[in-house]
Amino acid sequence: MTLIEARDLRITIGGRAIVHGISFAIDMGETLALVGASGSGKSQTSLAPFGLSPARVEGSFRLCGEELVGLGEARLRAIRGRNVGFVFQQPLTALTPHLTIGRQLAEAWRQAGAARPTRKELITALESVGLDAADERLDQYPHRLSGGQRQRALIAMAIAHRPQLLVADEPTTALDAFLRAGIMALLKQLCREHQMGLLLVSHDLHTVADHADRVAVLQEGRIVETAPASALMRSPQTRYARELIQAAPRLHGPPPALGPVGAPLLGAKALSVSFKRAGRRRGHFLAVDDASLSIREGEAVAIVGGSGSGKSTLARAIARLGPVDAGEVRWREAVLPPRKAMTARHRAAIQPVFQDPVASLDPLWRVHDIVAEPLRRLRPTLDRGSVERKVAEALAEVDLEPSFAGRRPKQLSGGQAQRVAIARALVADPDLLLLDEATSALDVLVGSSILDLLARLQRERGLAILMITHDLAVARRLCHRIVVMDAGRIVDEGLSEDLIASPRHEVTRRLVEASR
Amino acid sequence: MRLVSLLLIAVVAVALLGPLAIEWRYDSIDWSAVHAPPLTGTHLFGTDAVGRDLLARTLVGTRITLGVAAAAAMVALVVGVAWGATAGWCGGKIDEAMMRVVDALYALPFMFVVILLMVVFGRSILLVFLGIGMVEWLTMARVVRGQMLSLRQRPFVIAAEAAGAGPVRIVVTHMLPNIAGVAIAYLLLTVPQVVMIESFLSFLGLGVQEPMTSLGILLKDGADDMDVAPHALLLPGVILMVILLCLTRAGELLRDRYTA
Repeated sequence: MTLIEARDLRITIGGRAIVHGISFAIDMGETLALVGASGSGKSQTSLAPFGLSPARVEGSFRLCGEELVGLGEARLRAIRGRNVGFVFQQPLTALTPHLTIGRQLAEAWRQAGAARPTRKELITALESVGLDAADERLDQYPHRLSGGQRQRALIAMAIAHRPQLLVADEPTTALDAFLRAGIMALLKQLCREHQMGLLLVSHDLHTVADHADRVAVLQEGRIVETAPASALMRSPQTRYARELIQAAPRLHGPPPALGPVGAPLLGAKALSVSFKRAGRRRGHFLAVDDASLSIREGEAVAIVGGSGSGKSTLARAIARLGPVDAGEVRWREAVLPPRKAMTARHRAAIQPVFQDPVASLDPLWRVHDIVAEPLRRLRPTLDRGSVERKVAEALAEVDLEPSFAGRRPKQLSGGQAQRVAIARALVADPDLLLLDEATSALDVLVGSSILDLLARLQRERGLAILMITHDLAVARRLCHRIVVMDAGRIVDEGLSEDLIASPRHEVTRRLVEASR
Repeated sequence: MRLVSLLLIAVVAVALLGPLAIEWRYDSIDWSAVHAPPLTGTHLFGTDAVGRDLLARTLVGTRITLGVAAAAAMVALVVGVAWGATAGWCGGKIDEAMMRVVDALYALPFMFVVILLMVVFGRSILLVFLGIGMVEWLTMARVVRGQMLSLRQRPFVIAAEAAGAGPVRIVVTHMLPNIAGVAIAYLLLTVPQVVMIESFLSFLGLGVQEPMTSLGILLKDGADDMDVAPHALLLPGVILMVILLCLTRAGELLRDRYTA
């Protein structure tokens, strides 16, 4: 029986057409994945027909035979409450911070018009989404739960009223590789148990393909290809679908060609970083515990680990951009001074690129000034003409038109902003690039083009790279060596191919498993 | 933006130049016209309970109110931003100590301190400026410190450190400009508060002294005689409304322009 039937669905926001007449259907108990780059209209397709976005909807969108287009807000709310459950991307902000998990879960029941649930029912609901210690969790506030646990609690709320359809908009994008696989498996299992239809929205074809029955590929508001998931992955018919499949770095396939490795460049010895515990709890916790690491010239090293494993803190301690308690960092046999005593020469040698490209550019500055800043500060002897020339060269090196120099960060897309950030890092002519999740906030196609750019720079300039990522496949694409971190300690280390082929440590094994 | 700034400039210009064009002074008394309604003889907006021209008094009152508001707001801006930015950037023990000073000053009974100042140094408008500025900068310092703390963690600030910018340069070129929107918006929101405090002090006899006047005093007098002379409330009320609406709107527009 057909659960959802969309016919010639058109969506416009503020006069701009986002979706240009698409048609698709979902049967009872079936999972359809809607896949596309950012801006392809996939989120709007999943939200607007249910009245969850200010967009204007035309055409036809039927849920169990009932036409939703043109329905009033009151009726739509009733349908959302009873027939449809929603899971969103940001588990951190989707829960009300001052209400306990139990109260928010009970609220979801009431919204669906069900009787007030007993405590036992609530416990069963949390257990069904795989949360441990469900009895305790009911009385906890959201901040006590990790990202993955919160997403599970949100899923429990979304299915509390046994909806016929579950809409999941990028449910795993904000989670690390470990949690991704777990949440996807949970969604799939719940759909099977309750015969729920699932509309899965994602930019990442590989994550959803294993769990969806069919995949619809969306490009600029049009469906370019719909096929059973396995058939699509095996033999995509359109060029766009092929690009999407090839863009994501994979663990299998031939190893990438990497540049040669030279003399020792950087050696971090026994670094420790601790933070004061938040709130009333006394004492400190060790974010990085006795970590040692070395990088050679032209060598790319990845620090891989789940969220909270201390990988970012370690990298910042090494680059003297964050706090450090103990240990020393050697740079070409000389000891790197502490954070406040770093000289221009030291700073120029190590340059960072961060995860959120837009937040890493000063919103008030123009691209030209952003890229010129390291030159002005680190090479004060340069005259105005050579600064201009070097800025232009850096922009050209990251494939940006000269006209971008006059723009401000909010006039840039995510990929363009990340290119500007890379240009800023390159302009001072560093020996080591610190990439802190530099591609994980970007969609698959843009992220892949940034990875290609970084690989090219690494080859041409002989750059050493210290890369932080939760994704083994991304690390393998660029790095000679991989270091695995867990709970502040380095637990495994090895050449990329060896480490992936024969993981020794439990955490490495789980990472490899989650990236398959 | 253009309409708002034109209106504000018009109000300021009329307040500054208007009194020169009127034959009545703000303190001259016309015994032949007490509680006169508008358009009585040369009194365009009538007179008050002792026969003083309301238009002249309102224009002079606007001057005083704007002057007090501008001066107090500047004190709040300069002291508050400097204090808050220093505390927010330094963090740790310095931040703790500086914010405890702010808490302590908050805890002082403000009226009591102003009265003491008046008793010790005698009555003057300068002291009114000082007294109001003294309380308003406290909140500004808290706002700026909060913004600094959240900006410090932003990647673009860390990127500036990696680009070799020193602490002073980071604060001045990256952080303060990004706080400016919030600070200005807050600054323009303190003005109505200042107007209220000023009129309250004047009412207690601690602020502006009769026969000198201010919008706050005019509104209070107008409200007292509302049943017999409703027109006395109209002109100062409208002017105050225009000033407050324009400042609020200007604050919003500036904030939208400077924050992404």
